[in-house]
Amino acid sequence: MVNYGGDEVSALVVDIGSSSLRAGYAGDDTPKAIIPTSYGFQNNPPDSDFVMGDGAENAEAQQKKSKFAKIYVGQNGPSIWREGMEVGNPLSEGLIQDFNPIPPLIDHAISKIMRCDTSEHPILLTEPAWNTPANRERMAEIMFEEFKVPAFYIANTGVLNAFAAGKGTALVIDVGSTMASVTPVVDGFVLRKGLMYSALPKLVQAHSRHLLALPTSNRPGINLTPHQLIANKEPVDAGALPKFTLREERLQGTTASWRNWAESREVDEWIQSVVGVTDQGWNDQVVAQRPSRHYEFPTGYNYYFGAERYYTGEQFFHHSASLIQSNPSLPRTIPALISDALRACDPELRGVLMGNVVLTGGGTLLSGFADRLSTELLRTFPHAKVHAPGNPIERRYGGWLGGSILASLGTFHQLWISREEWQEHGKAIVGQRCK
Amino acid sequence: MAASAADIRSALSLPEPNGSSSTGYSAPKKHVSAATRKPDGISRELYSLIGPSAPSLAAQFAKPRLKQKPHFSGGASKVKWELRPFKNGARQDKLELRHWEKVTTEPTSDYPFAKYNIQSTSYTYSQDEYTRFLEDKEWTKDETDYLFNIVKEYDTRWYIIHDRYEYPGGPSRSMEDMKDRYYSVCRKLVRNRPWAGDEASRSQLMSSFQFDKDREVTRKKYILSLENRTPEQIAEEEALYIEVKRLEQTERKFKKERENLLRTLAGIDSGLPDIVEDDGALAGITSEVSGSVSTNAVTNKKKRKVGQVTDLDSPATPTAATAPATTKRPKTPSFDPHLCIIRVEVPSSGVATKAAHQPAYLRSFKLPTPKAAIAPKVTQALAELGISHNRLVMPTRETTANLEALLDATTALVDTKRAVERVEYEIQVLKDRLALREQNQSGDVDGSQAGADAEGENDDGEDGRAQSVVSVRSARGRKHQRRSVSISSVDTVSTRANMKRQKRS
Repeated sequence: MVNYGGDEVSALVVDIGSSSLRAGYAGDDTPKAIIPTSYGFQNNPPDSDFVMGDGAENAEAQQKKSKFAKIYVGQNGPSIWREGMEVGNPLSEGLIQDFNPIPPLIDHAISKIMRCDTSEHPILLTEPAWNTPANRERMAEIMFEEFKVPAFYIANTGVLNAFAAGKGTALVIDVGSTMASVTPVVDGFVLRKGLMYSALPKLVQAHSRHLLALPTSNRPGINLTPHQLIANKEPVDAGALPKFTLREERLQGTTASWRNWAESREVDEWIQSVVGVTDQGWNDQVVAQRPSRHYEFPTGYNYYFGAERYYTGEQFFHHSASLIQSNPSLPRTIPALISDALRACDPELRGVLMGNVVLTGGGTLLSGFADRLSTELLRTFPHAKVHAPGNPIERRYGGWLGGSILASLGTFHQLWISREEWQEHGKAIVGQRCK
Repeated sequence: MAASAADIRSALSLPEPNGSSSTGYSAPKKHVSAATRKPDGISRELYSLIGPSAPSLAAQFAKPRLKQKPHFSGGASKVKWELRPFKNGARQDKLELRHWEKVTTEPTSDYPFAKYNIQSTSYTYSQDEYTRFLEDKEWTKDETDYLFNIVKEYDTRWYIIHDRYEYPGGPSRSMEDMKDRYYSVCRKLVRNRPWAGDEASRSQLMSSFQFDKDREVTRKKYILSLENRTPEQIAEEEALYIEVKRLEQTERKFKKERENLLRTLAGIDSGLPDIVEDDGALAGITSEVSGSVSTNAVTNKKKRKVGQVTDLDSPATPTAATAPATTKRPKTPSFDPHLCIIRVEVPSSGVATKAAHQPAYLRSFKLPTPKAAIAPKVTQALAELGISHNRLVMPTRETTANLEALLDATTALVDTKRAVERVEYEIQVLKDRLALREQNQSGDVDGSQAGADAEGENDDGEDGRAQSVVSVRSARGRKHQRRSVSISSVDTVSTRANMKRQKRS
């Protein structure tokens, strides 16, 4: 035990991302509970004694939070159509903006799925590198006051991703579902001046949505109606108009936020399964030669996507001149983020950082992404080395995995903010301890 | 392999205790006892025929058993673990976390990871010290305090310190500024405080706080300028580098060709450093002498070489040739006494071939030895004087020369002594003979002559007789040979001749 430096104190690790919340035991290699961060809620219940026979609903949270008449979280939360259900996401640009749904979400993951009593387990939380002090103090308050944890720590996702890759010094490139960030980590500390992030994935998603909805010369504009609203459909040939009937009775009760959430989920799925990146930079001929990929939408419409899927992927690395002209405040591309981050770092560090590039986040799982990044980096830095785990779990939940490693180390247990310290020092202890 | 009680019993042929259920290695024994009954599957007739003495068959009819479970823990008892609360010595509070521990471990023992919580030494200073030594017009005391706090907080990780450094109202500081201030303050504190240890450790500590700000800044500037090269500049640099290499190569080639030409035309008189004499022994050494050898050395060498042209037959001695070539020192004979070099003329033993070349050797290997014939006598003579000549404590040149002289003298002494003895003996013999002759002249003359000539004349007579015998024999043998050649081979002839000779003799 001592040989590996590990000492299990049955700590829990909770990693809240824009698309999903991961929770599990420290020392495990995979989170036990993965639930969507988006939640459904109803402000004005149509019926006062309306009861959903749903395990996802949280009666406790309902009583506490007067804002929501009802909140639906977990796998059966927003993805199930309910009349008048709105969908919200507590995170915006990677930061928690709305703390109301956070306790129900964490409670669902830990108490309902993992069946743990939070008062028995120290909890390690993660935060993005650009988190505000007020935010982490609020988080600590929630953990100590609502969940009664014995000990708490909040760690940086950039650092944790570096730890998950087995590095103390690294340049972490994290492409999530809404934010792309480049974090220089030195000796387990984030260089805040070198931290660069942009809402690039959001742009890619909006672009894809636009691309799909826009009719082209070969195909009509694609209807993204989610399957919850489709009564039945018939199989059709690729490219043919879909034949389906809508659930007319549901259309009335469908809220705009739910519709938006469901459609963007369809777009996300399309991106995840179809979009690719050319590994040697953009080349029209190469793109034309690539095989097209088949994809079917909930309406039954299916099509072979050829060059389109590479247009979308290219947005991570390059903005076309026309796009830049139309929108001057575009989020920076990944190469731009990297060069900005390096410019802000000490010249001596640049070589070290480029030798330890860690690629992480679910957004990097597009086919060819790692190869393309490596090509881009090698063009300017011949010694660059990109660490990109091949295991999708490791790539998607790198932050959680790093937290799992950190919280199971024997030497880490002196860093926990204990309940006693919290009561004695208050919020200031968070900033002091979690540097 | 543990012997069970049943094994010991079987070894000592003791009876089995009744009703005891034996385990382990006693199992086969049990089968034998079971086989005394009629086993299932054998007819009674067959069993009565083969009787109980069929262990192989009986073994087959034994009941199948399950494989024995392996003992992974080597027979030790199960390890018990329990969930125990523990306190971490590295924490200031009373937080109790729980982890699983072996029941056998000491519950009160310290947390094993607490020892990794090491604190780096940090320097503090009083107001008095600050005003006396540490004043700096660039830094206020508050900012210095802030710097020392942040350095302590981040354990002198300068990149992080530089990243997190935010002193309100202060000017922006580069990492070099901070390092310079921190290390200069530390140096001043170490220098001005009373030091308990020795001076060496103090200066060592001082040198660990050494920081050259200008040098660091220049270094950073170089790194930056190296990074800021445009692709064109890099390409140009690359091209220039290749060009320089090419130029160097052509120059080298040209020089080589020129030397070759000179050597062919002028030979040794060209004064080239790597011209070899015909013995070739110096070729390997002198070609290593690079162009960096001072011109003085080269000219000296040239002089020496030119001087040696006259007596090419005698190659340079190892000491004269190898030592200057490797040490690259001026090598005129005028420096010899100063450098303790003694030039020894190798005895010109005729032709100077490669085989005649004498490699370097240890002087002690070439100690002179007396001639083998008289060696024991020389040793004896020296032993009488208490000198051991075959082992010199310090075989310097003088000592060796002295030893050689001594040996020569001893050899001469021994030789003279032998000559003296021989002459004395001869004189004695002749005196005796003279005395005998004078005695015999008075007695029988014939008898005395026979006795006196006994050594010489008698021998001659015998020889003459023997020769005649042999000649007669060989003549006869030859006759036989001639006769028998036609019959058989030479071998048989000779043997036959021998047999006949034996018969005859």
